[in-house]
Amino acid sequence: MFNNFFKRQWVVPYLFLAPALLATIAFKLYPIFIGLWESLIYTSFGGGVEKRSFVWFENYQYLFDDPLFWQSLKITSILTIIINPFQIALSLGLALLLMRKSKFIRVIRSLYLLPIGVALPIATVVWGLMLDPYQGLANGFLGVFGIPPQPFLISEDQALWSIIAIATWKGVAFWMLFLLAGMEEIPTQYYEAAKIDGARPFEKFRFITLPLLKRTILFVFVADTATNFVLMVPMIILTKGGPMQSTNVLAFEAYRSGFYYQDWGRSLSIISILTIISLIVIGLQLLFLGENKEDRVK
Amino acid sequence: MIKHINKNWSIYAWYFIILIGLIITIAPFWWALASSFKDNVTIFAEVAPFSFWSMVPGTSLDPYYGIFQKGFGKAMVNTFFVSVVSVIGGIIINSMAGFAFAQFRFKGDNILFGFILLSFAVPADAIAIPLFKMMRQIGWFDTYYALIIPMLANGIIIFLFRQFFIGIPKELMEAARVDGLSWFGVYWKICMPLSRPVTLGAGLLLFVFQWESFLWPLIAAPSPDLHLIQVVLARFSTEYAPIWNQQFAASTIAGLLPLIFIYLFQKQFVSALTGVEQK
Repeated sequence: MFNNFFKRQWVVPYLFLAPALLATIAFKLYPIFIGLWESLIYTSFGGGVEKRSFVWFENYQYLFDDPLFWQSLKITSILTIIINPFQIALSLGLALLLMRKSKFIRVIRSLYLLPIGVALPIATVVWGLMLDPYQGLANGFLGVFGIPPQPFLISEDQALWSIIAIATWKGVAFWMLFLLAGMEEIPTQYYEAAKIDGARPFEKFRFITLPLLKRTILFVFVADTATNFVLMVPMIILTKGGPMQSTNVLAFEAYRSGFYYQDWGRSLSIISILTIISLIVIGLQLLFLGENKEDRVK
Repeated sequence: MIKHINKNWSIYAWYFIILIGLIITIAPFWWALASSFKDNVTIFAEVAPFSFWSMVPGTSLDPYYGIFQKGFGKAMVNTFFVSVVSVIGGIIINSMAGFAFAQFRFKGDNILFGFILLSFAVPADAIAIPLFKMMRQIGWFDTYYALIIPMLANGIIIFLFRQFFIGIPKELMEAARVDGLSWFGVYWKICMPLSRPVTLGAGLLLFVFQWESFLWPLIAAPSPDLHLIQVVLARFSTEYAPIWNQQFAASTIAGLLPLIFIYLFQKQFVSALTGVEQK
C-alpha cells in the first residue's frame, strides 16, 4: 500500500521538494514566529528559578519608553540613510570604471573583487588594526601627508564613519558584480548608435546605461539595504556599540540585550521590529521586480 | 591634436583613479600578509612613522606557530568538516528542490517557489537570535547539528539549480522515463551528471557561506571545541589584542584559503553569484 503511494504521480514533486521545504519552514519561517511569540514573554530569574510570564506588549512598551532604544533607532537610521546610497553610488562608479577596455582589465577586475572573498570578520579585525590610533597603518599613511593622527574607532564622532568605511570596503565589490553583469547585458549597438549621434559619455550613461540598469540597481539597492539593517559584526568585534553608544545600531542592541543581559524579551522585541522592517523592504522589492517577471524566466 | 591630448588625459585620469582604488582595496590585506611574518616590535616601528618596509613581507614563522598553539588548527579542522558536510547536504537537498520546480507543474508550485525565495531574502543575522532559542528548545544548542543543519537549505542555490534544470531538453528525460527509469533515476542519473558547472558553483557558494559564517557559530556553539575559524579569529582580536602578528597570521590563513578556491573556480563563482552565464 505504501509502495503504491510513492508510485502516484502527484506525490513525486512534493517528495523532491520535501527536505528543502521542511528545512526552510523549520529554520527560516518558524524562528520568525518564535521571535514574535517570545517578544511577548518576560523572563525573570528570581532565586535562580527561571520564571516565564506572558506579558502582552509590555516588552515593547518598555522599549518605547527607553531613550536607549530611540538612540539606537536613530543610529540605525543614520547608518541606513548614509551607507546605502554611498555604497550604490560607489559600486556604480566602480562598475563604470571597470567597463573600460584595457590590456590589464582582467587583472584589475579580479583585484577589485578581492574583498568579496574576504569574510567580514577578517575585514573587521584587519581594519581594526589599520585604524588603531597609535600604531595603525591609516595614521601612519596620513602622517606622510602631514595629517595629525585621527582617533577613528575610539572617537564618538568618527566611529560610525569608520564602520561605514569598513563595511563599504567589504561590500562594494559584491554589489558592483551585479551592476557589472547588468551592464554587460546591454547591447553594444545602443552605444554605437549613440556615438554616431554624437552623444557625450555622460549622455550615454544618463540615457542608455541608467534606464537599462534600473532593475539591477533597484535589486542591489534593496538587497544592500536589507543587509545593512542587520550589520553588527564590526560592532560585536570592535566597538561594542560605543564609544558613548555612537555605533549602537538596533541589531547590536538586540544582540547585547540577549547575550550580555539575558533580557530575551527585549532582544526579541527589537528583532521583531527589525524583521518587520526587512519584510516591508522585501515586499517592496517583489513589488518592483515583479513587473517584468517574464523576461527574467526565459 | 587637441582631441588627441584629451584622449590621453582621460586615460591617465582613469589609471590614476584605478590605482588609488586598488591601493585602498589591497593595502589592508597586503599589510596583514606582510606583517604576519614579523615580530610585533618591527610591525609597530615600521608603521609610525610610516615606512615603505611595512609593506614588505618579513620572514618569521613564529606568528603561525603561535596561532596553532592557541587552537587555530582545531578551528580549521572544525570549519573544514562543517563546510564539507554542508556542501554535500546542501547540494543534495537544494538540487532536489530545484528539480521539482523545474520539472513538474504541481499544486501550489508558484506559491512555494515564491515562499522559498522570499524566506531567503530575510537576512540570516535577523533570525539568528530566535533560531538560537529554538536550538536550545530542541537540544541542538552547542552541537554540530546547530552549525550545519539550519544552514543547508538555501533559496539562491535552489534557484540556480532550477534555472539550470529548465535548460535540459525534456525529450531526454521522457525517453528515459519510457525506458523505465524512475523519477529519482532521472534526477540522479541524467540531470545531476549534466549539471557539473552549476554543482561546482553551488558547492563553492555553500563552502564559502560556512567558511565565512561568524554570528551564527558564535552564538549557536560557544564551547571552544566547536569554534569555527571566524569565531577564533574574533576571539584572538579581543583575548590577545596586543599580539598583532598572530591576528594577522590568523587573518591571512582564514582569508587566503577561500580566495584560492575562488580564484581556481572564478568563472563558476561569478556566474553562480550573479546567475548570469559568463562568456
